[in-house]
Amino acid sequence: MNQEAIQTKMRQRAKELLNSGAVTMVLGWEAGTFWYQSTPILIRQAEDADKLVWNDFCQNNLSKYLLDFRFTNEKIALFLKGCDSRAFNRLLQDKQIEREKTYIIGIPCEGMKDHRLAQSKNEGDDLPLAKICQSCRYPNPVIYDELLTEEVTPRQKIVDFSDVEAIEQMSADERYEFWQKEHTKCIRCYACRNVCPACNCRKCIFDQATSGWNSKDVNASENQFYAMTRAIHIAGRCIECGQCEYVCPANIPIMLMNKKLIKDIDLLFGDYDAGLSIEGQPPLGHFEKDDPEEFM
Amino acid sequence: MQILEKSKLDDFLQMLAKHQPVIVPTDVDGLSQYAPYQAQMTLLLDGKPTVSPKGIFLPQTEAIYRFKAQGKNLLIAEMENQQTPQVLFFVRHCDVQGIVCLDKVFMSPEYTDQQYAKKREITTIFALRCNGSKESCFCTSMGVDPEKANPAAADVEVYDLGDQFAFEALNERGEKVLSQAAELLSNQDNVILPPVPERKLQLKTEGLPEKLSTTFDAPIWNDFMFKCLGCGTCTYLCPTCHCFDINNKLRGEDGLKLRTWDSCMFDEYTLMAGGHQPRTGKKERIRNRFLHKLQYFYEKHQMFLCVGCGRCLTKCPMNIDISKFVQQVMKEESR
Amino acid sequence: MTKATAQDVLRINCLTPTVGVITAIREESSDVKTFRISSLDGLKPFTPNPGQLGMLSLPAIGEAMFSITAQEENSIDMAIKATGHLTDALHQLEEGQQVGVRGPYGNGFPLEYCQGKDMLFIAGGIGLAPVRSMIDYCVKYRENFGTLTVIYGARSKEDLCFKEDLFEHWPQVKNMNVYVTIDRPQEDWKGHVGFVPDYIKELAPTPKVAIICGPPVMIKFSLPALSALGFSDQDIITTLEMRMKCGVGKCGRCNIGSCYVCLDGPVFTQEQLKKLPAEY
Repeated sequence: MNQEAIQTKMRQRAKELLNSGAVTMVLGWEAGTFWYQSTPILIRQAEDADKLVWNDFCQNNLSKYLLDFRFTNEKIALFLKGCDSRAFNRLLQDKQIEREKTYIIGIPCEGMKDHRLAQSKNEGDDLPLAKICQSCRYPNPVIYDELLTEEVTPRQKIVDFSDVEAIEQMSADERYEFWQKEHTKCIRCYACRNVCPACNCRKCIFDQATSGWNSKDVNASENQFYAMTRAIHIAGRCIECGQCEYVCPANIPIMLMNKKLIKDIDLLFGDYDAGLSIEGQPPLGHFEKDDPEEFM
Repeated sequence: MQILEKSKLDDFLQMLAKHQPVIVPTDVDGLSQYAPYQAQMTLLLDGKPTVSPKGIFLPQTEAIYRFKAQGKNLLIAEMENQQTPQVLFFVRHCDVQGIVCLDKVFMSPEYTDQQYAKKREITTIFALRCNGSKESCFCTSMGVDPEKANPAAADVEVYDLGDQFAFEALNERGEKVLSQAAELLSNQDNVILPPVPERKLQLKTEGLPEKLSTTFDAPIWNDFMFKCLGCGTCTYLCPTCHCFDINNKLRGEDGLKLRTWDSCMFDEYTLMAGGHQPRTGKKERIRNRFLHKLQYFYEKHQMFLCVGCGRCLTKCPMNIDISKFVQQVMKEESR
Repeated sequence: MTKATAQDVLRINCLTPTVGVITAIREESSDVKTFRISSLDGLKPFTPNPGQLGMLSLPAIGEAMFSITAQEENSIDMAIKATGHLTDALHQLEEGQQVGVRGPYGNGFPLEYCQGKDMLFIAGGIGLAPVRSMIDYCVKYRENFGTLTVIYGARSKEDLCFKEDLFEHWPQVKNMNVYVTIDRPQEDWKGHVGFVPDYIKELAPTPKVAIICGPPVMIKFSLPALSALGFSDQDIITTLEMRMKCGVGKCGRCNIGSCYVCLDGPVFTQEQLKKLPAEY
């Protein structure tokens, strides 16, 4: 099914769900200011459903918005791509959201386009897939109430760790220099944290300046402390949606660090992909007697 | 006007750099920003850097004073202000206007911020007349003239003539810096200037502050605020956002009191001791930010605190668009 | 390192405090202490008008804006309630502690407007702190004002601030009446029991200039009571609190509409507040 047909069906289903009273709101995407932007929209009236779009730039992961509606009893329909559905499961596994309050319309996803490159191109120009989408293994929603189209073929079967391996091959000094440069660029806007479906602490330590844990001082060392704390904190819970990198205004390769942790966790605790199901516990969320413990 | 062949730009900057540090727009490890000039550096001459030049005058982190807290004793000592002159190159007219906005705040007659004022005093600003308009540019709607830089901040106007640059000193300070590389410049009268490209994005802003003063409780604020991430991208990249926090860096008994950028998009920004929060959510925070830019600042200083640079339009991860908002408000007026 | 003196403040950065010293600490109530502060050379750190504010800091911990409760020839007083990181630390201090201090900030009470008028002061809990500077002023220049009335309430008698003033000093002042109430009955309390807004209705003062400060809920229910008694919006004066960092209208966070509480406040009339967004 082509994008336009999917979009038509999206609008139709949103209208039906709102008109029937099955849900009180629908979360989807609408056209942004420029052709390479799509942006989240919350729809309450069936007549607004025609604002919904499905195109090459529906990157935003809508699952996290459910946290904003934790304390309402409204039923919400939302459109989820493969990665977004893993985020949904993650939040469900952490008991942050309630399955009964949602209606998931899954969209098997052919991948989004590189929106940064798009800014220097014209509408209609050929564009490659966004980096994160090129290596997508789960384009099909893993949890849904209905699917809009037939499933698509995953673009990759196994995780491509070649970028992580390239960093691993550096000497410690080279590696330090590499990250130092990247983190010097960080402006500490916290977009990567705020967009991340694995970041769902009620109160983040980086919002507690008086606690003494961190400083608002923006320099390579404090920025690294932030970046590493964030990465370690979501280890085992990252669902590889790449939203952190997508929103970063400083173009820091945040997923590279997340992927390194995915690789290490696979190595230490066996292959694990977060958010595929709500069964069991994330590897760092529980312990087994035979867990490797190099430091004890 | 004084003419420089573009091929000689590097020589020109090197010559200036012998007299004082020169700061230029360039790409540093994948993020465009203003950075100290080094020979053979690639300069960003089309479009503006992602990071605005406000940090030259209001650094993201800056020490205000030193202190030593030892038992019951306290010593406080001010920091040395930067004294060395510097030259800031190729500042777009929107960003020049941004500096004029900052001047209103930090050099207000009641309380002048000496650290800011000193940096302004020692910095010669070369404005770059607009040589290309992006689809996100709406400076003309916000009272910025792409033909002529605001002389309250610009010292030299630079015109892009294709193969050459033309320099026009706007004051004595500008003349002095230009004279440092006089041998590379040739005088020329009647320079024909290329036309400044038309802004693609033009907003009606006449009467906007007055119109907004009646919208505080209007439903317009409910529509698109839900999608805000509450991150600091818009405020940190904005050339006029100037809110800051004051906090410490401690090493034993010695400490530095720091001024760091802060963002009105953060929850902690207005949170009071005891837990009272006057601006509780995304809607209240965005409303305050937009109204500060388009109404509150205008009421105080008769100019917008938005210069139409378009950074937030393209960099907001959720595409919260102040230009669309202005259009919507003005449309409702005509209804 | 050299010590900055009061004169230096004019020269150096407006965000840099001078060093002061706490010369006396008085316990006002279960969670309020008054700190008396002088400069290192034993002088008044600065001379505030009634209702103006001062920044007090323990630089290693933090800095916050407080109302200046009173002033003597060589000192200023700040009554501070322990509610957070900095104020908890301040409550741990002993006399002789050196602190950072800068000010005065804000507009203060409209002294000229109040000249010759009957004055009503209404306060709840720590809200008496900013109001007290004005009461002190009226008592000091007694002949410049008409009658003085104080209506003050706290949760319990342990929470009453400035007890000496309430029960000893002020009742002695000519044409000055002090009414004190606590929220709930207590065994050895013989005074009035009840909330401030109800007490206002009960006392039914005739319209005059009212200066009111206290917890938001007290203000919320007192304002209609005053309006019902015929007080004009222009004659209802209150002081606001917002989070502040710079105190000089630059750091941004204390704005209410286009007003900065640190510059254009903290004192506002009800007439002014009605024109501002209710975002405080």
